[in-house]
Amino acid sequence: MMRFTDLKREAGFVFGHRQIKLTLLVVFLLSVVSLWTGFAEMQEQQATVEQLLEKDQAERDSALAHQPNYGSAAYYTFHLTYSPPSPLAFTAVGERDVFPWKHRIRMLALEGQIYETDADNPELAFLGRFDFAFVTSVLLPLFIILLLYDLKAKEREARRFDLLNVTARNAHAIWTARVIVTLVPLALVTLAPLVVFGLINGASLLSILTVCAIVIGNIAIWSAIVLAIGAAKRFASFSATHLASIMLGAWLVTTVIVPVTAHTVINAVVETPEGGDIVLTQREAVNSAWDKPVEDTWRAFIATHPQWADYTIFDPERDSSFNWKWYYAFQQVGDQTASELSKGYQAATLQKDTIASYVALLSPSLLTQRLLSSAADTNVSAMVGYENDVRAFHKALRKFYYYHLFKDPEFSQESFEALPQFTPNMRTLGESNKEN
Amino acid sequence: MIFSVAKTICADQWRYWLRTKVAATVLLLGAILTLAALIVNAFHVEEAAHAREHLQTEAEERFKAQPDKHPHRMVHYGHYVFRAPTPLSVIEPGVDTYTGNAIFLEGHRQNSAMFAQQRQSAGLTRFSSLTPSFLALALAPLFIILIGYGSVSREREAGTLTLLLSQGTTRWQLILGKLLALIAASGLFLLPLLLACLYVAFSSESPLVVLLFCLSYAVYFLLWATVVTACSALFEKSSVSFTVLIVIWMSACVLIPRLGSSVATNAAPSMGKLEADFKVEEKLRSLGDGHDVNDPAFKKLKEDLLAKYNVDSVDDLPVNFRGVVAQYSEGRQAKVLNEFAENRMGEELEQAHIARQFGWLSPTVAVRAISTILAGTSLETHHRFLREAEALRLEFVQGLNKVHVEKLDYKLDMDRNASEEAADKAVVGADNWALLSEFNFNPEAANTRISNALIYFLQLIVWVCITVLFLKAAVRRLNP
Repeated sequence: MMRFTDLKREAGFVFGHRQIKLTLLVVFLLSVVSLWTGFAEMQEQQATVEQLLEKDQAERDSALAHQPNYGSAAYYTFHLTYSPPSPLAFTAVGERDVFPWKHRIRMLALEGQIYETDADNPELAFLGRFDFAFVTSVLLPLFIILLLYDLKAKEREARRFDLLNVTARNAHAIWTARVIVTLVPLALVTLAPLVVFGLINGASLLSILTVCAIVIGNIAIWSAIVLAIGAAKRFASFSATHLASIMLGAWLVTTVIVPVTAHTVINAVVETPEGGDIVLTQREAVNSAWDKPVEDTWRAFIATHPQWADYTIFDPERDSSFNWKWYYAFQQVGDQTASELSKGYQAATLQKDTIASYVALLSPSLLTQRLLSSAADTNVSAMVGYENDVRAFHKALRKFYYYHLFKDPEFSQESFEALPQFTPNMRTLGESNKEN
Repeated sequence: MIFSVAKTICADQWRYWLRTKVAATVLLLGAILTLAALIVNAFHVEEAAHAREHLQTEAEERFKAQPDKHPHRMVHYGHYVFRAPTPLSVIEPGVDTYTGNAIFLEGHRQNSAMFAQQRQSAGLTRFSSLTPSFLALALAPLFIILIGYGSVSREREAGTLTLLLSQGTTRWQLILGKLLALIAASGLFLLPLLLACLYVAFSSESPLVVLLFCLSYAVYFLLWATVVTACSALFEKSSVSFTVLIVIWMSACVLIPRLGSSVATNAAPSMGKLEADFKVEEKLRSLGDGHDVNDPAFKKLKEDLLAKYNVDSVDDLPVNFRGVVAQYSEGRQAKVLNEFAENRMGEELEQAHIARQFGWLSPTVAVRAISTILAGTSLETHHRFLREAEALRLEFVQGLNKVHVEKLDYKLDMDRNASEEAADKAVVGADNWALLSEFNFNPEAANTRISNALIYFLQLIVWVCITVLFLKAAVRRLNP
């Protein structure tokens, strides 16, 4: 049994060491700095969203004001779509710096618009972000190794090892107590700033606790690895630093080698449509429609939109040879032509992510990183979710304009009050609406 | 004399490494990793080069194979450009995987590069990547530490240091011997890299660039070998030297580069493309819509043109007025677009410069900057790609507008929407599409890249000086 007095004595001992106090201070500072930079960046992104929303509305209003018909209204108005940072996004920037989180789209073929990226500075993305997820998944294990590798060796060198073992009521209790008084402060200095920043940013208590649980889990796994290597019979004759080399080897294999090998294998195994093919296909389809008989476009369009089958005739007197109905129909057909490729591309992205989630079981660091970015809503599925939000919104936009183009009600500015508005997480909201 | 003793010490150190499991494993693992990274990357780059070259030719062929059309339709049909990887990207892919390598060029718009590979990596390669440069810059130092942290302190702990020094070995001989051994060991990681460079030097890359590239990596390895040996001599116990070295590695290789990136993001926030787009639109609206000849913004243009040809109405002009408007407004618009694009590139570069200043705090950052700049995989080269793509865009769009002005009759053009037959008449021949020139992207000239990297060479030189001083201090304080 471990007693409170044991803990107290060990705590006094551990905190008597300058090296440990210094390590804890460094970890605390790293945690604060990483959280602060993430926090500042997400504040900036939030401000950007608000600013863009304001401009977007103003811009659309002024563009709509002098449009003579629904066709040109659809052509000249853009709609802002965005994925706002979640309250915990500051802990893990995740995929937010490679995937787009804002688009301005219009009624034209979507496949030509959705792959545009308003990405961050590529050089900074390449250097990597110094976020909380990085600190806890990559650096924290290294600190744990540094703190624990010479747990027993230090005592052996100081020739106290046998003395301690003999005098203690329970030899195990001493070491357990010493590990606990080292790790608990480590967890505290890492997590205390997180809780503060989380509360300031209005994250829910439950989500903050989830992040804490992930970090504590990571600390537990790494401590277990370090202690297991330290206690292994095979390595009994090794010096403390040799043991530490083996621990670093474990870090290297799980944090670096497993992910990069998996990456290489996954890329070779999962077949991904060439991104360039999607846009090329779509462009060919849209542009060749001008030269093809109008009926070809209508046939492909009606196949997916049978409700407009009776409305495809137009009045050349009024519409001349160019007419908006046909124009948007071949935009739709362009998307339809590329949809197979586009779906394949997205499916491949998701499939790779799924395989990566299995790979993560072999790498505690990767697992921590993935769990954190999923808690922060910055993982691949969140970003793909945003892409699908944009698709859902574009669909709603088409529905609105198709009605006005085909049914051809008299043009009025008031009708634009019913124009679909983009809201984040549209897809899920839409689904729940259907149920009502 | 000094060297023969040093050689003996070096040989002795090697015998020790080959005997102990840890050191031998580290050596083997490091060499295998670098080799694997090189092979995987070489295949990847080769494949990408072929794929992009193929796509580029295909895009050009498709453009030229378009049937007779209205020239403005070709402006909207657009064109694709692809960036082929540079020879040295086998070792240093740099920002390439983050930028996307294809751009769609069309009239009235500047599109961004699409399909960054990083998006397809499911976050697996966010911390590490199987690239030779990552292995050399971030991991090799760790290997060097694991092998060398105890090279001198081990002798001290075993009591052999006193023996060595009392037998007439000088401190410098001892340290040089140990250093030599560690340099030889780190050479094992460097060797595959140097061989790859040698191979690249015989391809299209400038030999001077390749030489400097190799040199900066070699100096980097030397730095680490020296620091490790010095620490091992300086600290009494192996465990202390080990801890200190691991802390140095963590800060120099892992922490500071990322810190630089985060500081740069926050210190010089850049305007996103969308925000810039709004501003561009605001400005463009004042310039008029190039599709609409009756836009009041073109009144002056019209009057000038009528005066120039001394006619009363646009119908009597010998040129197509719609084409003139398109040409005129495209030119003015491109000016605005480029002004904003240059602005954005300037902001990005400023951020990169801030991040690279951290090279004064960590040699890893310095060598990384040198490596990407020399390899032609830096932000600067990406910007060059964007600029060249834009130049091509403007060239073919304005070329098509010129065809519009000169080869398409204004009346036929104005009547094009009257009926399908009229639309069929308002076209120009497909032979005009030959105006599209070939796109062949090459990174900056060798001299430009080298001069861009100069300041980071300076950072590296400062690090060399610091390390030499550190070694001297360690030798001076070496006591048994």
